[in-house]
Amino acid sequence: MTRKPITMPDPFTIEVIRNALTAIAEEMSLIVMRSARSPLLREAGDLSSALTDAKGNLIAQGRDIPAHLGVMGSTVQEFLKRIPATRLQPGDVWFMNLPEAGGNHLPDVKAIRPIFAEGEIQAYAVSLAHWADIGGARAGSYVPDARDAWQEGLRIPPLRVFTSEGADREKLDVILSNVRGAEEREGDILAQMASTYSADERMQEVFSRYQATVVQAAIANLHDQSEAEMRAAILTIPNGVYEGEDWLDDDGPGRDPIAVRVRIEINDDEATFDFSKTADACAGPMNATPFTASASVFYAMKVIAGPDIQPNAGCARPVNIITREGSLLHPPVDKPVVAGNHDTSQRIVDAIFKAFEKVVPERLTAGGSTTSGLLLFSGRDPRTGKWTTLYEVHGGGEGARHDRDGMCAVRPHMSNVMNTPAEVIEANYPILIENQALRRGSGGNGLHKGGDGQVRTYLINAAGLVMTTIVERCIVPPYGLQGGEPGKTFEITHEQASGEVSQLAGKTHVSLDKGDRIIIKTSGGGGYGTQNGNTANSTGRN
Amino acid sequence: MGSTWKVGIDIGGTFTDVIGINNQSGEIRTAKVRSQTRDPIASIVAAYHSIGVDWNNVDDLMHGTTLATNAIVEGNIAPVALIATEGFRDTIEIGRQNRRELYQLHVTPKLPPLVPEERRIEALERIGPEGQVLKRLSENEAIRIAEVVGKLNVEAAAVALQHCYVNSSHEKKLGDRLAGAVKYVALSHEMSPEPREFERTNTTILNAALMPLTVGYLNKLQAGAGDTTNVHLFHSAGGMASGAAVKRRPLALALSGPAAGVAAAGKIATELKLGNAIGFDMGGTTTDTCVVIEGRVQVSSDQHLAGLPVRQLMTAVESIGAGGGSIARTLGTAVRVGPDSAGAEPGPACYGLDGVLPTVTDANMVLGFLSTERLLGGVLRLVRDKAETAMSTLGKALEKSVHETAIGVYRIANASMARALHRVTVERGVDARGCSLIAFGGAGPMHAVALAQEFGISTVVVPKFSSVFSALGCLTAELSYAEQHTISLSSLEWDQQRIDAQCQSMMDRLSAPVLAAGNKTGDIKASFVALIRYAGQSDSIEVAFELPCDPEILGRDFQARHNKLFGFTTDEPWQFETLRVTVSAPAQSNIDELQETVLQESTNPISVDECWFDAKGPVSTRRFERGALPVDWAIEGPAIIEDNWSTIVVPPGATAQLHRSGHLIIDTGVVS
Repeated sequence: MTRKPITMPDPFTIEVIRNALTAIAEEMSLIVMRSARSPLLREAGDLSSALTDAKGNLIAQGRDIPAHLGVMGSTVQEFLKRIPATRLQPGDVWFMNLPEAGGNHLPDVKAIRPIFAEGEIQAYAVSLAHWADIGGARAGSYVPDARDAWQEGLRIPPLRVFTSEGADREKLDVILSNVRGAEEREGDILAQMASTYSADERMQEVFSRYQATVVQAAIANLHDQSEAEMRAAILTIPNGVYEGEDWLDDDGPGRDPIAVRVRIEINDDEATFDFSKTADACAGPMNATPFTASASVFYAMKVIAGPDIQPNAGCARPVNIITREGSLLHPPVDKPVVAGNHDTSQRIVDAIFKAFEKVVPERLTAGGSTTSGLLLFSGRDPRTGKWTTLYEVHGGGEGARHDRDGMCAVRPHMSNVMNTPAEVIEANYPILIENQALRRGSGGNGLHKGGDGQVRTYLINAAGLVMTTIVERCIVPPYGLQGGEPGKTFEITHEQASGEVSQLAGKTHVSLDKGDRIIIKTSGGGGYGTQNGNTANSTGRN
Repeated sequence: MGSTWKVGIDIGGTFTDVIGINNQSGEIRTAKVRSQTRDPIASIVAAYHSIGVDWNNVDDLMHGTTLATNAIVEGNIAPVALIATEGFRDTIEIGRQNRRELYQLHVTPKLPPLVPEERRIEALERIGPEGQVLKRLSENEAIRIAEVVGKLNVEAAAVALQHCYVNSSHEKKLGDRLAGAVKYVALSHEMSPEPREFERTNTTILNAALMPLTVGYLNKLQAGAGDTTNVHLFHSAGGMASGAAVKRRPLALALSGPAAGVAAAGKIATELKLGNAIGFDMGGTTTDTCVVIEGRVQVSSDQHLAGLPVRQLMTAVESIGAGGGSIARTLGTAVRVGPDSAGAEPGPACYGLDGVLPTVTDANMVLGFLSTERLLGGVLRLVRDKAETAMSTLGKALEKSVHETAIGVYRIANASMARALHRVTVERGVDARGCSLIAFGGAGPMHAVALAQEFGISTVVVPKFSSVFSALGCLTAELSYAEQHTISLSSLEWDQQRIDAQCQSMMDRLSAPVLAAGNKTGDIKASFVALIRYAGQSDSIEVAFELPCDPEILGRDFQARHNKLFGFTTDEPWQFETLRVTVSAPAQSNIDELQETVLQESTNPISVDECWFDAKGPVSTRRFERGALPVDWAIEGPAIIEDNWSTIVVPPGATAQLHRSGHLIIDTGVVS
């Protein structure tokens, strides 16, 4: 058998192919957003789409949601460790969500489709979508008091749900029988399937125009480009060893702060992020997978050194990420992880920022509301008799920078999910928003001030509602940089109709009655520099 | 009195385009003049002079303008007082709490609020989601607010109360009181009668903030026009509006110019029976695309302007930051085209001004497409040497010849355009390959056919008057008003009476100004669109219907369309989310009645040049004068067809033919 000649495409052809592949991934995201049912997908775009090569190396991403940066690059690789490629057929769509298999948490479900051309698998299309429910102990699948992985919901190992013949109804029913809102979830599954279908069609057009070897050579070159961009970015940071740490408030049931520690070694154009000194895995759902940790590292490197780096397998080459098995960032498979995805991931970024404070402070932003600030209300709406869940995230003040104040009420770093308008909440849930206002004076002082948080008051208009909180920065405040003061912490107050008032913990679960109020005050951002104008190193923690 | 004219004018950022038709002889005149940015009325007068008319013999002026857009982009809008519901005055500062840039931390995550804290006033009142009054707005409170606003020293006030779109009584009460305190008042239930307080409030503030400027401009314009000229303006949703209507809703001018071009494209799609089409307007720094489905220009009510949310019906134009001026550069071993642009000044290297960086236009020059003989717009002679020098500098870095480099840049520009075509069509659930491409704008006709070939599109149309296309859109527009209103009705709880009443009242309201303009009831056309979705979906699907509204037909059409768009449908109940009504009167001029000046017919090329269509080598390419082409005469590519303002590239494999309508139709040779 003669080998096909390797034709190296010219830089123009590579750029044309890059545009085509990116268009395909973008199109996948548009399709999921337009037709999916979960409110998170519609409003917040909590989804990612990607193409990988035949080995699972990420080629192009449609919308690079920071929290998914590390996940999309590992999903197919981990999938292929479990399912040999020889078992895959054209028309297959496999679903999976195991956190330990290139995942982050159970609600983020991936659909994977092999793309064949010239008789071989050339690429995979991956559609990740955050389902509003994946089963488990509580509606919405956020279980602040979870003690093991199974309480968090349905664990889906690689499962062939669609073949070229269509849906495998029995498998679909197994999934739908184990999640709340079967109708909505089926809509999500169909949307994800449809997006991989469109990717396959579009990829066939690419392969009809260019030989597979040309496309593969172009992909290899794109990886090299990203690698070069990442190396150039690392070079902008002086060589050295930098250590940083920040703390999670607690793990839910526990009451002790949990350390996230990083030791960064910059060696010319290579970097090592060693998280070995991070605390052990915790009992509650604050654990994060190594894939989440790598997402945080890539996010931090992008914002600090190379915002335009194309996220693909190439940019991972000069970066070495070490997580210790058994630790918070590499937990045993039986540990719950649901909140690690958006809260611990943020704390990793915080630890990296604090490590870099000594060397590139002018590229950093002081601490912000690095938490989802999640309030999850569920119950039956007396107007319709239907079970309903409101998943609401709350941003706070942005940290200050060396040249400006922080802004009020924004989502920081790893998440960018929008709020739900008061008018939409009131029309769809038995809840009245009494006010939404800035929390004036909550930002930390400094040469530049941290931004203010916000206040929102929820008046409950029905009996029998329940609320889950997953909120960080209630105890450990957003840090200042270069001597700036920390911002105020989150406060969640429960005013009962009876007149009783209590402060709620950041990770808890309460029953609500008609006439109750929940008032959330979100954290302010940290300040930058001391008020008298010095930007000397911070005096350390108190 | 002598002959009279109807004139369409589009005042753009750089050029003002004009087209006039003589009411008696049918003679058509077109021209392009430089815009006088600080004085739009001077631009109109200059445009008049360039075609030999003046205020006295223009009966009808229909015009598009960037007045509102520029004011918003430059932040040159009037200070406004905002009245919000108690507890909600910070809504515009909190926004949706998401940040603009994911990876650029130095960029402030949000734009500053349009109204600063000291001018945000809370009204003691509250309306619930079903319109129930939870706290009544007292007369005294309305008076108090008017007094507070009166002391703020502003000309305009915006009122945006929670749930006013189901119960507008409090907004109206405040509006009445404020009329005595400020000159201009915008009420949010009139501007955007739909939920989502942040977006509706911003839209209302922008309207109020544009009122002083727009009213001043229109008063001056009407003074100039006197009693002899009817003045109409092109609005963002794709039709003409009276001066009076625009004074109340100046934000309707936001997309005035681009929407006029797309409207003309929509008419041509209908005239030529093209089915689905894509308007492709490639200019110097941006390219606008818009989808036309069965002759209907697609509109949307959820768009952004200068980073601000705007909720009103606007032509769904998708802009990308790439055009003829986009600069090509290396990035490591890779090559990128754009997003930086050489703009109009210094412009591409071949302009011979001070530009030295290689642009897409320079690639067209090097490849031989652009002529060095003809003066661009009759004034600018292009310089080939400068383009070659710029392109070879880039080529050296890539170890490629100057022609290989130019071909590469041309292909990459087309690839990024292809990405835009994907996006705009996928969002609308249309397969671009089944569409025709209608190309206009300075650079559109140069790239359209190669882009179509790359994409698998079989037909490209370069319309007549393509260089003054937006002005043509103005001249041939109908008077039309459109509005949409939230319904939120489940198919399970169908309320025939409510739908009928809503359709009727919107139709009556929108018809009033059309009737007032002298149209007869029988000539007025009303069209109805329901925006429908399954419960829980975010995007609704447009389903056109006729009165009386039949829920069975509606449901069936919705499911068919859903299946076409997403490949599946279910028998779940559906939700009638929003009702959109458009009322229009017939246009005064139709594109098919307008003929371009025809030169002495000739099938002889004006020259034969060496052009590069791939890197293998140049091919002899005939260059034709567009105005001299005989109807129905087939020109096989490679060929170039040009006039003073645009260059149409017909690559090998494609065939161009002048249609009797005056439009140039190009068969790309691709079977779609």
